[in-house]
Amino acid sequence: MLTTVDAVQQALHEQNYIAERSLSTAIYLALRMGKPLFLEGEAGVGKTEVAKVLARMLDTRLIRLQCYEGLDANHAMYEWNYALQLLYLRLMEASRAGRDEMRAGLFTREFLEARPLLQAIEAGESGKAPVLLIDELDRADEEFEALLLELLSEFQITIPELGTIAASRRPVVVITSNRTREIHDALKRRCLYYWIEYPSFQKELKIVRAKAPDVEPMFARQITAFIQELRSMELFKRPGVAETIDWTAALTALDQHELSPDVVQETIGVILKYQDDITALAGGSLKTALDRARVRADMAAG
Amino acid sequence: MPDTVRRPGGFLPLGFPYEGGYLLPNLLLFGRVCKTLGMSVTPSRMIDVAHALELVELGRREDVYHAMCALIVTRPRELALFDEAFRTFWRKPATEWSTLDMSSMGEQRRQKKIQFLPPPEASPDDSIGPTSSTPIDQSLIAIVPTYSQREALRTKDFSEMSAQELTQAKLLITQLHWGLGVRRTRRLAPGNGSDMDMRTAFRQNMKYAGEPVELTTRSRKVKPRPLVLLCDISGSMERYTRVLLHFLHTLSNSIYQVESFVFGTRLTRITLQLRHKSVDVTMRQVGVDVKDWGGGTRIGDGLHEFNYHWARRVLGRGAVVMIITDGWDRGDPELLRNEMVRLHRNAHRLIWLNPLIGSENYEPLTRGAMAMRPFVDDFLPVRNLSNLATIARALARVDWRRPNLLARREAASIG
Repeated sequence: MLTTVDAVQQALHEQNYIAERSLSTAIYLALRMGKPLFLEGEAGVGKTEVAKVLARMLDTRLIRLQCYEGLDANHAMYEWNYALQLLYLRLMEASRAGRDEMRAGLFTREFLEARPLLQAIEAGESGKAPVLLIDELDRADEEFEALLLELLSEFQITIPELGTIAASRRPVVVITSNRTREIHDALKRRCLYYWIEYPSFQKELKIVRAKAPDVEPMFARQITAFIQELRSMELFKRPGVAETIDWTAALTALDQHELSPDVVQETIGVILKYQDDITALAGGSLKTALDRARVRADMAAG
Repeated sequence: MPDTVRRPGGFLPLGFPYEGGYLLPNLLLFGRVCKTLGMSVTPSRMIDVAHALELVELGRREDVYHAMCALIVTRPRELALFDEAFRTFWRKPATEWSTLDMSSMGEQRRQKKIQFLPPPEASPDDSIGPTSSTPIDQSLIAIVPTYSQREALRTKDFSEMSAQELTQAKLLITQLHWGLGVRRTRRLAPGNGSDMDMRTAFRQNMKYAGEPVELTTRSRKVKPRPLVLLCDISGSMERYTRVLLHFLHTLSNSIYQVESFVFGTRLTRITLQLRHKSVDVTMRQVGVDVKDWGGGTRIGDGLHEFNYHWARRVLGRGAVVMIITDGWDRGDPELLRNEMVRLHRNAHRLIWLNPLIGSENYEPLTRGAMAMRPFVDDFLPVRNLSNLATIARALARVDWRRPNLLARREAASIG
């Protein structure tokens, strides 16, 4: 099915995800080579969305691991169910079981609780291989990266008490990072790397049209042009595609059909999240940006 | 610096009866040299060496050499290093002995901890014969007294040093102990804490048939903080730039995670260049890559660039920020002030190193300095070696609290 880059691009499009051809290529390679896909880019450019879309595209389960500082094997991979183990121990005692029997029964799969990574490894046994999303890896600490190495290259997890559990079908792995710190080379080396840029005007317009088909074409062009204009300004935090989509939804909800300085002022909190940026835009520069956006929207229409 | 070498037996606890002259202190010193060169020298090993020297004839250089070699060297590749160290260390007093000779042994960065000039004796090719009649040659183990010279160097302004003094100063910088305060991470590791470590507890208590007799816990792991350096390289700082870059290089190679930037009229990241072990290669590379040497200063623009494009990437995980500048700013003071507010808010601790502090009648009254001063946690001089020692201590003491919370609040309310 997904045997060419074009097919991948087409499938992504059908899922309402507008991707550059370069991204489609990276996804295609990740699927064909069975390698994890490592996505970096500014916040809100659609990194996480890639995993969600892939899961829909492949019609399979999405297993998500949100990273945070201090994330360890107990929360990411597996944990023994100690309470059950203790109960089992008591039971064996009562039934006067032999030493070997007790030992053999205590550390078995039934006492192991699978967390996202182990779930992803095991999910392939009954049905399709899942999509595993390891989200915002830069939030976890370096120690956690080391924990991932075996999983990402061998697609297996070694549990000292139990042995090695390997995936019968390799999960499709998508890793995202906001780049608040550099991820170690050892991990990147095992992945296909892709940097997602802010989209061009044409591409972003397509995204807006895909996400909000009811918005009038001229208004969609204005919205997109204005956001593009903002991105060219020196801001502390430039708006992402997620902000564009949210803003479109907000303006639609407010029943607006035309951008005006007042409307932008009232809804600015949807696109700019820092007070300094809002102040920078107040007054003259807002009007200038708006005028330029209108011109661009008109030109795009013509 | 170290008082310990000035009297025989200085390494020993006070009041310890010892009459062996300079031999034991020098022996221990030699042990340290070997350790610095990467050999596994432990105190118990040095006790063995001392015992061994009681068993061989001290006058016989060859025997001493082999006795020590057998006890200190543990790998073939250390043989050559030991040989060189031994020849250099135990030789007749040489007049033009300098610490540079030490640097030629092993790698430069391993030199950090040697704080003494090793003593001299017998040139490499000395024959052993005639000396065997004298039990111990006193000069074999005398220590070169450079203490006072060093004392003078310590308080001399970097800008007034001769080229030779600068070379020495740079070497001394690398010998200071550079470390940074720590922060508690959210990661748990086995230790005496409040969080139960069920996995270990379960396994350990199997021997009590599953009764929870021994409780094992985990505690928060401690990690060194990252350090961010922002160094001014404009015209007014020119006299200090070279030695400060050297300082940056040393920090980059001794602290766990360092990000370095230089600014004059614009900001340049030099982290990767500074990671190079060789200081000469680093300097050449930085010289090529940085374009605004010795020009004007717009601190505000530099900080703006940093805040907008780098802060998110390098100021995580409780980073400490150190700005090195004299505060002479030709940019917009309002911009500088705003950027300082932002930087102060995002840094765990903001340290300003200023080479002008301590010079006569200096007060931070320039527009730039006035804009910066309210937002720094520490305001320290950086004009001579003894200042650097103070900075090293200040860095090691950075803890989880800001020093002056009240001032910080006031500053924030103004901003």
